[in-house]
Amino acid sequence: MQSGKSAAQTVATVKPLQIRGRSFTAIALHLGGRPDRAFFEALEARLNQTPLFFDNAPLVIDLEQAEGLDSAQALMHLAAELRRRKLSVFGIQGGTAAQARAAAEAGLISLPGGRDAALERVSRQGSRPEPAPAPAPKEPANRMVTQPVRSGQTVFADRGDLVVVGSVSSGAEVIAAGNIHIYGRLRGRALAGVNGDDSARIFCHALDAELLAIAGLYRTSENLGPDTPRQYVQVYLQGEVLRIESLK
Amino acid sequence: MSKVIVVTSGKGGVGKTTSSAAIGAGLATRGHKTVVIDFDVGLRNLDMIMGCERRVVFDFINVIQGDAKLKQALIKDRRLENLYVLPTSQTRDKDALTKEGVKAVLDELRQEFDYIVCDSPAGIERGAHLAMYYADEAVVVTNPEVSSVRDSDRVLGLLNSKTALAEKGDGSAVKAQLLLTRFDQNRSASGEMMSVEDVLEILAIPLLGIIPESTSVLKASNEGTPVSLDDKSPAGRAYLDAVGRLVGEQIEMRVNPGEQRRGFFQRLLGRTA
Repeated sequence: MQSGKSAAQTVATVKPLQIRGRSFTAIALHLGGRPDRAFFEALEARLNQTPLFFDNAPLVIDLEQAEGLDSAQALMHLAAELRRRKLSVFGIQGGTAAQARAAAEAGLISLPGGRDAALERVSRQGSRPEPAPAPAPKEPANRMVTQPVRSGQTVFADRGDLVVVGSVSSGAEVIAAGNIHIYGRLRGRALAGVNGDDSARIFCHALDAELLAIAGLYRTSENLGPDTPRQYVQVYLQGEVLRIESLK
Repeated sequence: MSKVIVVTSGKGGVGKTTSSAAIGAGLATRGHKTVVIDFDVGLRNLDMIMGCERRVVFDFINVIQGDAKLKQALIKDRRLENLYVLPTSQTRDKDALTKEGVKAVLDELRQEFDYIVCDSPAGIERGAHLAMYYADEAVVVTNPEVSSVRDSDRVLGLLNSKTALAEKGDGSAVKAQLLLTRFDQNRSASGEMMSVEDVLEILAIPLLGIIPESTSVLKASNEGTPVSLDDKSPAGRAYLDAVGRLVGEQIEMRVNPGEQRRGFFQRLLGRTA
């Protein structure tokens, strides 16, 4: 009995999987007709303008204006040609029922029509034919501040941890993509993991914060509660709960 | 080596102009050639506090715009040999101040004066910004009260980022010190008012002085006499102590300087002004 109970508890706490809704941005390739030689030439020309921008970008084929394209073989051929050009095609949209069946046979999923958004970077670069520079690899860049962060100031470490040697005044903001360390009193707002890193933490010597946030989950001073530790604390995310714990 | 000192606070009504006048007069009493400049364009007050409002002919804005020479606009104090006032315009607004104009006037004053005290307007806009922009040192005037402390904190942030020294980017900074004004020992002790320690903990800058709340301040203002010229008033003595610290002397911090000199009967009869 005893062991059975503990096994059940383990199952309850470990969680083998979690299902969440998530949205991604994909590129839609609108076909103007059959994918003939002229089409591939135009595609090559477009890809050459911004060689790296489309690399391995998720892509759906929009078949709304390509009614004739309804054989699995033709779709497979098209998908292979696109993948050869480093485009990660994974589905179709706007097709007829016959096209959807053909796509399923070709290993592509059929998506209900999404919404087109402007690809701003592409349109801007389109007018300048020179190839885009390779995006610099994002190395973490930590930031150190050795003065008090005053009311009205914002300090942002957009690619790493933020260390403040001093206090953060009320009305000041400290923001980091990574962790935030404050060797002083935190009276203002601290937002860690702003790019979605839910393992980011906030550490401070004394906690008197207006707002604490990790990966978008926040608590304000009003709902911290009277039992919250105030000295030498760390703040971290446990599931969907922002926890504040004494380091002592 | 002349020094430009800005007297600033963010919040209004905390005693910037009173402190500018008192510090200016205190420096002049010590023999330093001093000028006090009113940056509060449109709300001309400094000349009244200094008792020279009837002698204003040309002002700071006239000098900036080239309508008058600096010598014509400077008003010499009648009481103190070394004290001058550069009044501002009552009819113009802060837009009449330009960075280049302020710099030109300050550079000219630096040739002649030991200390240039800039009386900043309240707020953090153009007037306040230009008052602090060329400063070497700052006196941050704060009342022991939360909104004043927060505004002072904001101003300290600006002193660290939006001044000529900070913009040099070589680590030089405006040296800022705290002048705590309208302080009441009893109300602070009873918790009605913030304590000196509370304010210092938040602002984290050196303490230049504590000016006790005193009826002599309002009286001196109405008479047009800088309060530091009244060495019988506790506020006046506190200002003189603060000026001593400003020029680098080591003076013990007392909330009511000179109190221990009160006689037995005075103590028996309670507090004086």
